[in-house]
Amino acid sequence: MKATLALFLALALALSSGAPALAQPDTLEKIKSSGVLTIGTRTGSPPFAYINKNNEWVGFSIDLVDVLIKPEIEKAVGKSIKVEKKESTPPTRIPLLTNGSVDLIAETMTDTPQRRESVDFSLTFFYTGAQFLVKKGSPIKGINDVAGKRVAAQQGSTNAKILREKYPQVQLREFPDQPAAFQALAQGQVDAYTNDGIQLAGLKAKAPNPADWEIVGDFYSEEPYGMAMRKGDAKFKAAVDAGLKKGFESGKYFELYDKWFGPKGDVPYPMTSQVKAYLLKQIGK
Amino acid sequence: MNYSFKWSVLWTGQSGYWLLQGLLTTLELSALAWILAVALGILSGALRTVNFLPLRWVATFYVEFFRNVPLLVWMFFWYFGVPPLLPRGIQDWLFNHGAEFWAGMLALGVYHGARISEVIRSGIQSIPRTQFEASVAIGLTTFQAYRLIILPVALRLIVPPATNESLNLLKNSSVALTISVAELTFQTRQIETYTAKAIEALTAGTLIYLVLCLSIATVMAKVERRYAIPGLIARVGPAA
Repeated sequence: MKATLALFLALALALSSGAPALAQPDTLEKIKSSGVLTIGTRTGSPPFAYINKNNEWVGFSIDLVDVLIKPEIEKAVGKSIKVEKKESTPPTRIPLLTNGSVDLIAETMTDTPQRRESVDFSLTFFYTGAQFLVKKGSPIKGINDVAGKRVAAQQGSTNAKILREKYPQVQLREFPDQPAAFQALAQGQVDAYTNDGIQLAGLKAKAPNPADWEIVGDFYSEEPYGMAMRKGDAKFKAAVDAGLKKGFESGKYFELYDKWFGPKGDVPYPMTSQVKAYLLKQIGK
Repeated sequence: MNYSFKWSVLWTGQSGYWLLQGLLTTLELSALAWILAVALGILSGALRTVNFLPLRWVATFYVEFFRNVPLLVWMFFWYFGVPPLLPRGIQDWLFNHGAEFWAGMLALGVYHGARISEVIRSGIQSIPRTQFEASVAIGLTTFQAYRLIILPVALRLIVPPATNESLNLLKNSSVALTISVAELTFQTRQIETYTAKAIEALTAGTLIYLVLCLSIATVMAKVERRYAIPGLIARVGPAA
């Protein structure tokens, strides 16, 4: 499966690099003439971007674009615009962006140095990292308590890699998928299951008795999500960042966060002070 | 295809060590499972031919139950299904001492035991009934007849299908990666994760399985020739 994905990605990159090299991309000019901002987003990544029960394409990432970024772009181009959504997935999103099919990737894309070689990223709008899912009352409270313990991870994940390299005392058990790992946790084959915090929150929310489970520990890996844009388009990036920045300053961003990740949201995932500090540090606070 | 091969990923870093670890785990798992499978296979294969209905029935139940459920399900059964039946303390001890490996070994051994059983039964049933009757006539008990006459002959007849089953067992040991046993296929995936070089890692795994299976097949071909019973295994074509 991953091999197929890698091949597809290689192919997609090969095809996209065959497209004529754009001189200086000017997305704002394009939006001005068409009146449309096209975003690439997901259809099945709740609560970031998904199609809900009423067949509406919604989510936290989409709200950020509609509420925070759209007004900023309208100001920059001097007219009102429409937001159009297209589906993007991990293997297609960078090619869609570079060939001009979409202007902005707003979904669950982690901002990494490797990706920065091909695209630009906005300010970080969501920050997650590896944590542990444990039975309520477990003595494991974080990465410092897992030595000698049995910990499940997903085969091929960065979390498994970090544990193996930096915490060799951990008895690592790697499962091919999330359900098997969760089953092992539920039955006691393992003492904890590690994955990105938001993934664990989704798993916990779907579990038969969410209250039986706890997500513990500070992040021991970093997964900052950003919105991706074509490389080298400073004016467009400035408009996108300004929208997010105003959202952080006015508190609108935190209202939206609460709508999706608050106690009544789809996937309750309270923002830790660590994350809040990280987000606010981006705008110098 | 726009794919740049980088075979050096197989011997740089930890790849070589991982492949070796994986190979050893695969061999250990397969060897133990094979011993279990052959023991269960001979026992149940022989029981299916005895003249006592309840024993035949038990052996038939074992064979039909275990060979007709997918191996993957048996892996989950032995790993997720069985431990909760044990006291909590024993469970914890097992989980700390390689429960994955032992569950995988049992799944593989019991499943293939059911398949080998059929091979053994066909070997026994290819022996004329008169041999058994003659054994009993000279004063052997049923057990002695099986141990001294029937099974030694049957085992020499079934070398080709038994080799086939053994090779299947070795290759099926890769299913154990679903319950977190770090065998050969698991390790090739690990190399892929670290290096993003899928084709190289898969090629290494493929070659190792191929060499292992070919070696076993070669040895078994020698065994087959050496123990062939003149007159019972007829070589029609030119001797291989």
